[in-house]
Amino acid sequence: MKPSLSLPDRAVDLALRGANLGLLRGAWILVPGKQRGEWWREWHAELWQVRQECGCGRGFSWREERGIAGFCLGAFKDALCLRRMERRARRPLALSFGSAWWCLLLLAALLGLSYGLGRWLPGVRAERSLSQCMVRRGLVLIEYADYEDSAPTISSGQYRAWKDRKQEFFDGFAFYRVTRERVNREAEQAGSDGGAGWGVARASSNFFALMGLPVRFGETGANVDADLPGVILSESLWKREFGADPHVAGSVVRVGLRRATIAGVAPEGPWDLPGKVDAWLLEPDSQMTQGGAGYVVAHLSASGESRMSAAIIPIKSFSEHRTPDDLLGVSIGNGMPGPWDLFLFASLLAILALPAVSPVSFGEESVSLQAISWQRKVWRWGFLGAKIALLLPIAFWASLDLAYGFMGFNSNEAVILQLAATFSICLFGMRWILSDQRQRCPVCLRRVAHPARVGQFSRTFLAWSGTELMCMGGHTLLHVPSLPTSWFSTQRWMLLDPSWKFLFAGRYESEGGCSGYGVNS
Amino acid sequence: MSPERNSETKLSHTAAMILQALDAGFVYGFSIMEMTGLPSGTVYPAMRRLERDELIRSQWERQSIADAEQRPPRKYYKLTAAGRSTLESSRKRYPLLERLIPSGEARSL
Repeated sequence: MKPSLSLPDRAVDLALRGANLGLLRGAWILVPGKQRGEWWREWHAELWQVRQECGCGRGFSWREERGIAGFCLGAFKDALCLRRMERRARRPLALSFGSAWWCLLLLAALLGLSYGLGRWLPGVRAERSLSQCMVRRGLVLIEYADYEDSAPTISSGQYRAWKDRKQEFFDGFAFYRVTRERVNREAEQAGSDGGAGWGVARASSNFFALMGLPVRFGETGANVDADLPGVILSESLWKREFGADPHVAGSVVRVGLRRATIAGVAPEGPWDLPGKVDAWLLEPDSQMTQGGAGYVVAHLSASGESRMSAAIIPIKSFSEHRTPDDLLGVSIGNGMPGPWDLFLFASLLAILALPAVSPVSFGEESVSLQAISWQRKVWRWGFLGAKIALLLPIAFWASLDLAYGFMGFNSNEAVILQLAATFSICLFGMRWILSDQRQRCPVCLRRVAHPARVGQFSRTFLAWSGTELMCMGGHTLLHVPSLPTSWFSTQRWMLLDPSWKFLFAGRYESEGGCSGYGVNS
Repeated sequence: MSPERNSETKLSHTAAMILQALDAGFVYGFSIMEMTGLPSGTVYPAMRRLERDELIRSQWERQSIADAEQRPPRKYYKLTAAGRSTLESSRKRYPLLERLIPSGEARSL
């Protein structure tokens, strides 16, 4: 007969029972659904037994209750163990390590990583935006042949004369002159101490149209104040001075003594134009009479392009007094190939070089493979195609990351590094793809495993000698000769008939089995 | 799993102790815990794996017996032929196993 507990002890006892059952319920949630009922019955019965053995109900003891709580906590380990076993038993062969899906997942992860890095590294971002904002084809910078590089040599009068005259080889001219100007935002002018000094290019109003460069926020800033000239900010200035404010277009600034409206932001990138420019002040030709010499950019007409055989061409011009001027037309925007061109070139080179580093056959000439269904064959070729389709963007992004992420954009070193990285990744990646394909079971596309040496190398010409590998799904055996001979030159597959199946049945259920017994708490 | 293969299976000491306890007549989880001194977080998961590998099998006690003793029905575990064979080879590997848990101890209690 149980001794009766006092009311407070009974309350504590009930609370502790509730807590124990709560712990078991917590573990119960982790148990796989189908096994929960039986698991709960067993642990409930065992808990009852534990409480009986500990003498609960006869009096209250913290020591005993701690032991019971420890017992209940063990239910979590049990639940997790059941969960792991269930997951392992459910894991299909096709999704286990070494399977085709696993391989594709790994490649996709690599692609995601290289793409993510490319989006994150500032150098790569700059290079990509630069390559997307290439200037028009057929642009030349006209300068006097006798002068130093990058010195402004053309007067605005001469520019207007060329523009007004009918030209055979050019169909458009633009002019700009770089000056250092103090610039104030009009809203800040009252308290300003003179404003910041920017490199301002006073350019003809057709400058951006001629260059073919897109202007961001151009729509917003176009119609704000038609009487004021427009200012196009460089991207670096927009970020530095305006905090990359997308509503900057339409603001009024004072450039030197003139008021102007911010009309947009120019894409970042060196366009092979001389002069360090923070902003372009676009003015009508009539207002460009004052000031010193500047630069003239011209666009070649169709007949002009046909004559432009080199990056620099001599141009003969006649002044108003019919005296000849010797000028040079320097091609703009064709200095360096873009990253996409480099990638195409390097990957093509790698594909051409592939036969030198790897055999391109898949070693599937085995007669027994004729029995494989066409769906399996399509899936096998599709898998090969998917690997190549994933490798190429990996090579593109990884080479960009390596070249422009750490070397800085638009440098010769970066171009060489991108070429080398693309070539190496494509070449060795393709080599790996072919070698991987040769070692995948034609039935389940899983990599064959457990290599076993068969025969003696010294007796190669008397008996077969090589390595035998086995598909873990029990579909095929792969025989790879150690030395190709006239009668066994390449690897051969052997399809296993269904009588082999029992050897592989339940392999995954028992995987890791006895090694798990030694669990210690 | 065939008995021949089980006899080659190398069990950990914990798993061998549990098999030995079952052989000695400690046939449900808590009694095995008491006999071996192992915590619940070790005994129950190990028994799950032993059952998965068909070294032991479980059976629920009849409700009438549990009712007669005024307690919930227990889940009893029993060695299979494969488990017995594995236990034999484990005894050679762990000679002190039988001294720790002598066979038939539960029956003598």
